[in-house]
Amino acid sequence: MSKPCITRDEVLSRADELPAFPRIVVEILATLDDPDASLALLTEHIKQDPVITARVLAMANNAAARTRRLSMVRDVFTATSLIGVGRVRETAITTRVGHFVAGGVGSGRGMGFWRHSVAVGVCSEELAQHVALRTPGDLALVAGLLHDVGQLWLSRFRPDTSHESWNEALAHNDGIDVVERERFGVDHAEIGAWLAEHWKLPTSLISGIRHHHDAGTESDELLVPLLHVAEVLSNALDLGRRAENRVTRISSTACSRLGIVWDENIRPLFGRIEARSAHATSIFRHE
Amino acid sequence: MRTRPRYLPLIEAEPGMVLGTPVRVTRQGQHRYSLPAGHRLTGDNLRQLAAHHAEFIFVAEPDSRSDEEVAVDAANAAHRVLDIFSGADLADPTLAALFDQVLAYRSA
Repeated sequence: MSKPCITRDEVLSRADELPAFPRIVVEILATLDDPDASLALLTEHIKQDPVITARVLAMANNAAARTRRLSMVRDVFTATSLIGVGRVRETAITTRVGHFVAGGVGSGRGMGFWRHSVAVGVCSEELAQHVALRTPGDLALVAGLLHDVGQLWLSRFRPDTSHESWNEALAHNDGIDVVERERFGVDHAEIGAWLAEHWKLPTSLISGIRHHHDAGTESDELLVPLLHVAEVLSNALDLGRRAENRVTRISSTACSRLGIVWDENIRPLFGRIEARSAHATSIFRHE
Repeated sequence: MRTRPRYLPLIEAEPGMVLGTPVRVTRQGQHRYSLPAGHRLTGDNLRQLAAHHAEFIFVAEPDSRSDEEVAVDAANAAHRVLDIFSGADLADPTLAALFDQVLAYRSA
């Protein structure tokens, strides 16, 4: 007998069994338009977070070595001036979301899930820059890191059926969202959107998560086509080398809305995405 | 000698590598530092790029593989791309264009 459909109430009632969603990410997203507030928030948070502090100092000392700076960098202020606020913010976001994912994902798929999330985050940022989208890079990064958070919920609370869904999707070349709707009455994109609403993430990010498999939908949010194309591209380039990397469709409407043309001029973007993804995965491989 | 293109993080770049594309570092829309394609990187160039927060560069690496090895690598890469797109309807012009570019990129 098949299990009843997953409902929004069920998803939210069990959301509290997941690790607490990192408030620093919500706060960073809320202050993206205010660089002074963003810097103050970052500095205050990092001072209390030894993991992020260690990573930021390591990156700064690496940069210092390349510029022949002789003294060791020991404080976050100097480190920030060396590597830039953007890199520090990116490190804080990825570190905290990485811990959240590591604590929430069920056994077996953890590393593959995280690699894919990082890859789509990098793709989203690079695509946004490529098409000169006005979406802040950090919002695109967070959207990519969280786009499959509904799968995290499924692998935690419906691990067997979730695993079977992947096997069925791969065996029949179906989209995972299609198989999930047949088995659960809802797909991971919708579940992820419910969670994002629960965590009070920005509306554009919620829309992006909800429609990343259905980017032809009517939406004013450019994060929707961005996230859709980023995930397709991440799979097409085989980022993370996952068995699940498959391309069955792409929304031409999404490509048109972003102004993306798939000709030979796109190949340098492929190279950049691949290099950044490998680099980011190596930095955050212990998440 | 034959070369092959590769993007790499600046921390992996070394003096003597040749730029495959121009490097142009901008901050807040302002031009800060640039180097032309074909330029052979020096230690000072790398320090300048690091000081300007450049993260990635595109180099043309010497390719010491034999013709046979190149052909085998290209065939393996093409096989994986075909596997990834095995469920795709390539009559869709957008999907076909993406497939063509990924295949060409992997074959380079």
